[in-house]
Amino acid sequence: MSDDLDPLRRVRPDRLQPDDPPDPVVLAEQRERLMSAIDQNVNPDTGRRFPSIYPRIAYRDEMAAVEFLTRVFGFREWRESRMENETGTLAWLEVGDGVVMIGRAGPDHHDLSSPDDIGGANTCMVNVYVDDVDTHHARAVAEGARIVMDLEDMFWGDRRYEALDLEGHRWHFGERLSHVRERLGLDDA
Amino acid sequence: MEEPTDAAVIAASLADPASFAPIFDRHAATVLRFLVRRVGPDAADGLVGETFRIAFERRGSYDLDRPCARPWLYGIATNVLARHRRAEGRRLAALDRLAGRATAGAPSEADGPAEAAVARADARDLWPRVAATIAGLPAGERDALLLYAWEDLGYDDIAQALGIPVGTVRSRLNRARTRLRAAREPGAPGGEQPSTPTEDRGRIGL
Repeated sequence: MSDDLDPLRRVRPDRLQPDDPPDPVVLAEQRERLMSAIDQNVNPDTGRRFPSIYPRIAYRDEMAAVEFLTRVFGFREWRESRMENETGTLAWLEVGDGVVMIGRAGPDHHDLSSPDDIGGANTCMVNVYVDDVDTHHARAVAEGARIVMDLEDMFWGDRRYEALDLEGHRWHFGERLSHVRERLGLDDA
Repeated sequence: MEEPTDAAVIAASLADPASFAPIFDRHAATVLRFLVRRVGPDAADGLVGETFRIAFERRGSYDLDRPCARPWLYGIATNVLARHRRAEGRRLAALDRLAGRATAGAPSEADGPAEAAVARADARDLWPRVAATIAGLPAGERDALLLYAWEDLGYDDIAQALGIPVGTVRSRLNRARTRLRAAREPGAPGGEQPSTPTEDRGRIGL
């Protein structure tokens, strides 16, 4: 092939600097990571196992959501997994052994909606067990979450509260009462 | 016995995920070379893994009528690159400097193979403008152009990789070529390197 693009072909970076062969060590390493991810359903970027169920939650402003959920609810982002491009960002946030995926809402994004887009309606609620629901609740209140069910001990054995996040998604935070008693040193009482 | 096609390997991997491995073994070196050309070795190392992880996750939507998976993998790698435009810009700038060093005349230059010498001569004359032009192309045109000129993909394969009709490949390539030609005209705008008219005349004279 010879045409007006020949000069461009000749300045192909590896022709300009031909000491740049693909590194077999890199390939072996990446193959290893891929195959272990395939075998174990592990995210190779983090080495962490994805739970079999993890929800994707949609926001009009997904970056504001990541900021809110980490600051107000104490979620931890897998920062190394974050995927950014022109049409939005995907982020993964963990709590304990659970994970949620945070992405943008809209017809081009799996047709998911933010409650703010649909009059505040919710079609699901995510339940989260935390280590210390009293502290979690105090932090959420202090950081400005909208509490929609007060912290209360429930007959099924949980202490729980419910809150709305910045775009109106509803979250349920709970702790087993047995764990509360243990935490407060009331086990013998 | 004949090797199973990529399509057959991918079909088998739907039920048996681990049997996906030959797709990596057959194409990872090519994909890595492509990524290195576009963003340099440091960024490319991780991206090759990401490309194949995405390929694995999307294998259910692979068109099994296509025996060779390479264009499909180029397409996934191109999407992965879209999140690394900054790294690509740095790569182009680095090559720009490399071409500049060739102009200065490294001692080893005379010993290099003839082809490398030709490449350096071209680079010396053309690279600054070509690099700026590539960097300034709309992403879709740059992707099509470099798949064609650097990866030697045909129109059909580029169409498959980028998920666009062949006619769109053709028009993107035409537009990119027009811009490249314009950039190589004497005195064309777009050269990022400041130079006096005298120097310009000297370059063209080579």
